Amino acid sequence: MGKEELFKQAMDAIISSDLKKAEEIAKKAIGEGIDPMELMSRGFRVGITRIGDLFERGEMFLPELIRSAEVMKSVSELIISALPEESREKSGVVLIGTVQGDIHDIGKILVASLLKANGFEVHDVGHDVSVETFIEKAQELNVDIIGSSALLTTTMKYQKDLEGELKRRDLRDRFKTMVGGAPVTQRWADRIGADAYGEDATDAVRRAFELLGKS
Amino acid sequence: MKKYRTRKGDGSFIELNENELKAELEQGTSDAADRGKISPLSKEELQYLFELFTYPSKFISVEMGNEVILSYDAATLKVRRVGVSTHRIQSLQVYEKLLGADMLEFDHVDYSIKPVKPIITFEQPELEQALLVTTLPLYYGAQPNLGLYNQPDGPCPNPGELYAAGKISEAQDSQEKAVEYAVSDMVQVGSEMYESGADGINFDTTGAAGDTDFLATLKAVEILRKKFPDMCIEVGMAGEFILGMHGGLSYDDVRLAGLYPHKQIELAQKAGVSIFGPVCNTKTDRSIPWNSARAVTYIKECVKNSKIPIHANMGMGVGGLPMVDHPPTDVVSRASKAMVEITRLDGL
Ligand code: B1M
Repeated sequence: MGKEELFKQAMDAIISSDLKKAEEIAKKAIGEGIDPMELMSRGFRVGITRIGDLFERGEMFLPELIRSAEVMKSVSELIISALPEESREKSGVVLIGTVQGDIHDIGKILVASLLKANGFEVHDVGHDVSVETFIEKAQELNVDIIGSSALLTTTMKYQKDLEGELKRRDLRDRFKTMVGGAPVTQRWADRIGADAYGEDATDAVRRAFELLGKS
Repeated sequence: MKKYRTRKGDGSFIELNENELKAELEQGTSDAADRGKISPLSKEELQYLFELFTYPSKFISVEMGNEVILSYDAATLKVRRVGVSTHRIQSLQVYEKLLGADMLEFDHVDYSIKPVKPIITFEQPELEQALLVTTLPLYYGAQPNLGLYNQPDGPCPNPGELYAAGKISEAQDSQEKAVEYAVSDMVQVGSEMYESGADGINFDTTGAAGDTDFLATLKAVEILRKKFPDMCIEVGMAGEFILGMHGGLSYDDVRLAGLYPHKQIELAQKAGVSIFGPVCNTKTDRSIPWNSARAVTYIKECVKNSKIPIHANMGMGVGGLPMVDHPPTDVVSRASKAMVEITRLDGL
């Protein structure tokens, strides 16, 4: 079987949440000397991105997304174990939460699931999270990215407060920040000085990789 | 090339030339057609939208004779939400006597069925007072808001946490239990407020917690319809498609997850809904012409499939309008005229 065909099968295994098939493909590819990272980025990750897109269109639902994310997690572990010790790094550590005064968490749950499925270590601090908690947890867990979700025009301002508070505490350069949520835009991210804006869950994953220089 | 001033979904101004504006309209309708698997707007309809968005006046309106019913959900909240401190009944009077509302909703600030249940005996006399000083049809309304039945707010294990732990069937079981609780509360609140004199009941932002929310609403409507054959029941939606938070639920053998407005209406009718309020969500990063063309495409198909009145949601973040507290009249009037005159719906 050619490399391209193997990548396609890897993608299909994720879309159909087929753990057995996904593991078989991963083992076969590793056995044939295919670069595990290439298999990940051109095969499995294409599958999970497609799942995210299908969810956004109402063509795939949360249980399927979770099942595929689980398959993705197992397969990522397999692939990581096949990498030489020195290149076994995690995608990155992300803290994610919905800002203070805001209880909308459906979008944030999706973003967190897709980030996890892409190999990020994700700490979901829930909804109605104060700026103080975001910063404390980010320090405690030594995260790379602080992601905040806001669904109300009245609560977006806490994303701005978070930027200000990080600066005030001299912590701004220690973390990358990403903002998202229905009323949030690239323009808002630029205005408040956030490092990235994620339009949807798939975009959030892309941005997270970019932020950590792994796109 | 001449530039036309319009806005983006976050309310900010942008300027587009003729080609750009036409491209936005075409892409907006194609996006809806592609997602909903429905027909895009015709060339003539797109040309009509182009004329609306290039018309020089700040404010435009429908042609005489094309007026529709103006019904307001969450009417007793909206005046106060923008910082005007009025009593609920005064808010209704402002809407009716000053703003020309045709139908209104009386509601509690918590605006969800579950918290209303224990205070219903306080809501009933207030509704009765409101009925005495208004003449238009007055609903009682609240959101099904199934999230409130999950821990820590309610009795059911939290599906978000169960999903995160990979416990898919447990998460689904919990959501099914929440449906049972919600149906019982919706029937109780609906019945008691109707018996207190409300002209109808409105279940607003239905589907906010996904397919469970929509299923609970359909089941509650079915029961209320049997109990009160003449009751007016309005159902307003939360989003353009039903989020599959459970994924396996169906009503009348139709899977609920992923249904777009033209399919939602079919089930709403079967359950016994009297007026249906479909939604199209605004993308804040795209232009209002794009959002408006998209919204009109969905709602047009929904109206086509409906035998009951359609009152589409037009407000902040829905119906093609910007997601800001005070959606500006330039785009509100354009998107509303487009919605009314292209889809031929019954109310906004
Ligand atoms: C970190 O990086 C990232 C990157 C990307 C990120 C990200 C973070 N976070 C999100 N993303 C992005 O990726 C996700 C996946 O694609 C996306 O997430 P989304 O969340 O956008 O998308 C989800 C997959 C699906 N979308 C949603 O889940 C939101 C849908 C709508 C209908 C909505 C819902 C569901 C709810 N609501 Co509310 N609600 C609305 C929403 C209408 C709309 N147009 O969005 C909105 C947001 N609500 C609104 C309002 C007013 C309210 N709501 C309220 C309550 C609720 C429910 C509880 C009923 C429910 C939330 C349930 C829950 N557990 O989340 C109240 C506020 C409660 C509070 N304090 O937070 C209340 C005030 C209503 C009331 N009077 O009770 C409006 C806000 C208007 C404004 N000007 O801000 C609203 C636009 C509806 C409307 N038109 O009135 C992207 O934004």
